[in-house]
Amino acid sequence: MNIFEEDLNDTITFWEKIKNIFRGKSLWMLHYCTGCGAVELPPTMTARFDMERLGMGPMATPRQADVLLITGYLSVKTLRRVIYTYEQMMTPKYLVGFGSCTINGGIYYDSYAVINRLDYYLPVDLYVAGCMPRPEAIMNTFKTLENMITKGEANGWKKYVENYDWYRNNQIRSLGEVYVKDEFHE
Amino acid sequence: MNSTNDAKELIRILEKSFDIKDFTTPKKNEISIVVEQNNLPTILTYLKDKGWKQLSLITCVDWIKENKFELVYVLFNWSNGTTFVAKTKIERENPEYMSIIDIFPGAKYYERDIHEFFGVKFEGNLDSEKPLFLELWDDKPPMRKDFDPLEYSKRKFPDRKYDVEVSKNAVKDAIKEGEINERT
Repeated sequence: MNIFEEDLNDTITFWEKIKNIFRGKSLWMLHYCTGCGAVELPPTMTARFDMERLGMGPMATPRQADVLLITGYLSVKTLRRVIYTYEQMMTPKYLVGFGSCTINGGIYYDSYAVINRLDYYLPVDLYVAGCMPRPEAIMNTFKTLENMITKGEANGWKKYVENYDWYRNNQIRSLGEVYVKDEFHE
Repeated sequence: MNSTNDAKELIRILEKSFDIKDFTTPKKNEISIVVEQNNLPTILTYLKDKGWKQLSLITCVDWIKENKFELVYVLFNWSNGTTFVAKTKIERENPEYMSIIDIFPGAKYYERDIHEFFGVKFEGNLDSEKPLFLELWDDKPPMRKDFDPLEYSKRKFPDRKYDVEVSKNAVKDAIKEGEINERT
């Protein structure tokens, strides 16, 4: 990274840049697999591609995670849980959509239970095309995401706060209400 | 033990007491019968006593032209590996049928499932109208053949708008520059 004179004088920008570099170097991924794309993650995590050399690791709880992966189709029932999960995550948080289902519905374009586009409900930082994307494509995505974070371009979480009303209206329109009914704990 | 002979024997006994409309063996080790709706619980009790102890599945078929629903009960016998399929037809308007949770307690969830996806009410199953998979559903049951999933999807889940002209021009430019070949 080049450090210029202006950057040194402008403390906020400078420290923001330093923070962004650190953020990009240690990404904790929420271990919550939503669709069929999740089968591409085991080879990405294990010996062959070894995600950990990029500083990424799986994390079990949303409150400690940075990255939420939406791997494939997202049913209405899952979307409620995903919105809960995304809102629990600490900022800065990043959302990556896998496969054609999150982009335009894919083969579920006419399903009564599966949403058609993800960025209508939650801010997506990066999409991976394909059905399903290969582990190489996923590694490439993680590298791109890292670069975007370092440059300060992955601003989905800011967008979500700024346009919260729009996202909320869309969620209500498709889901009726965002609350999770848990029959087994009634 | 020959299961085919057993099946014929069993069907003969059933035919003595009940009106069986159709009897087929679609596969080896599979028996299928069509019965009157009033006789079905009695037949299932009899079969459970004879060794068909597992209820594998209850499902429903929508015969929209006949204006009927067909309920299909699949039983399995672990001692000779035979599947028994009992079918019965009920009315499509205000569909209602008796629950079999007294015979097979595992039927509880299948009946809830059928209520949710076809709208069939099961008398005797107190939980049958509780939602199971679809949360806050606000339309007709989705597995009925007169339900249009595409129309529902368009209304509830907006799709991405594409600029068709832009993508067409991009393809033309790519052909001109030789990046892709035009299909013959």
